Amino acid sequence: MKTEFLQPIDGIRLAEEYRALLRPGESEAGADGIVHHLPRFFYEIGSWQQAHEIRLAPHFTLAELMLVDCRETRLLLSQFPHYVPCTILLLARFLEDFRCEVDAPVFISANGGYRSPAHQIGGAKSIHAWGTAANIYRVGDTFLSDAKSIRKYRAVAASLSPAVFARPFGKDEGQTSDHLHIDLGYASLTPRQCSEAS
Amino acid sequence: MLSVDTPNGLDEELEALAVRNKARAIGVALHDLETGFRFSLRGDRWFHAASTIKVAVLLAVFRAADEGRFRLDDSLHVRNRFFSVADGSLFRLSQDRDATPELYAAIGRTAKISSLAHAMICGSSNLATNLLLEFVGVQYARMVLREAQVDGVELRRGVEDPGAHEQGINNEATADGLLSLLSAIRGDFLGPESKQQVIRILLEQRFNSMIPAGLPPHATVAHKTGEISTACHDIGIVYLPEREPYITAILTEFDPEREGRREMVAAISEAIYRSVLRTELDAK
Repeated sequence: MKTEFLQPIDGIRLAEEYRALLRPGESEAGADGIVHHLPRFFYEIGSWQQAHEIRLAPHFTLAELMLVDCRETRLLLSQFPHYVPCTILLLARFLEDFRCEVDAPVFISANGGYRSPAHQIGGAKSIHAWGTAANIYRVGDTFLSDAKSIRKYRAVAASLSPAVFARPFGKDEGQTSDHLHIDLGYASLTPRQCSEAS
Repeated sequence: MLSVDTPNGLDEELEALAVRNKARAIGVALHDLETGFRFSLRGDRWFHAASTIKVAVLLAVFRAADEGRFRLDDSLHVRNRFFSVADGSLFRLSQDRDATPELYAAIGRTAKISSLAHAMICGSSNLATNLLLEFVGVQYARMVLREAQVDGVELRRGVEDPGAHEQGINNEATADGLLSLLSAIRGDFLGPESKQQVIRILLEQRFNSMIPAGLPPHATVAHKTGEISTACHDIGIVYLPEREPYITAILTEFDPEREGRREMVAAISEAIYRSVLRTELDAK
């Protein structure tokens, strides 16, 4: 795996303009009122080329998990460096296991990996801001856009670990209708060389 | 600029065409920017807008870009999942019913806003239309129409929204309204670069069997067609050598799936062209 470009940084030492958007370590109440701390440690990514070259798992590059559309704020969309929570490594590892289980290529949708707390979809209340969630829109040749396919692969994802949550099919809040949402909860990862002293 | 307002026999000619082709209704508006000649035949009658409404979405997208809300080369997530404006029910567009099926290959990925705008107009892509309208928002697009002083274009929803259709929530337009929409595009409402880009997109229209079919080969047309089972429209800016263009909107309504609809719009286009030339000669 090509990960030598990965440079961990402590988010609270970032420039103010980035801290305002990434809100490292800040607490955020979800829609259910439960409070979690947003990611504090990030990898600094210098360019899209780097993101494409960084292979987090045999079949997943970093670029696949940080691709967002113009609903992302300008600073975090079209300028580099970009910052991605270190937990993205855990997500990639899980996706690799999922791919192995389904024995087919797994496709992550745009906006379907890490999204910053400033992103227009969900913002800081979305678990995508933790870098632990992925929206899978296609497995092999199957587009996950109906109840049957989403149920099938939801069961596969859930079978891999009790830590995995996969949303059911549907159009209501907390359900999905054109992709499979999986996440690993509000996990955080502190790289060995990083101190958690503030 | 000369100001001419005599119909020059155009109204009788168009009425005769409508009768001969068994059209339920026609609405025609014309403004010749060379002579100032304006003409309107039932220009205030409301029609189902069909795909001509995509020009209103185009105006809103470029206005939003001018305002710095996004850049035209920004990427937008392509999804085939929309919610009805009527009841919030989920609906998806059918690739088989879309004039640009190739865009469906990008589902799950991103496409540039400029590419979606191009697909929405040149290929009349329903998917691109709904993606762009969802992104800028119906309320924003309606506000843009108001700011552009476009009356006679009621943008209420995206396309192929079955829940809205059942409840009679449709996009509607008059010939006068669509003419004012094209006039806003050609005027100063958009920034110079956006205006140029919008007109270039309209010039690259792939469906050319109506307004352009009634014109000589030296004419070029920036236009948008619109067809559903009972409606057949074309609206455009017609460029002729060594003169200012004229703007026209031709809206027609027929019994469902009647043959010869496009040919009638082309015949109206030809009649308008001849009238414009006659008026120019008279004015000289």
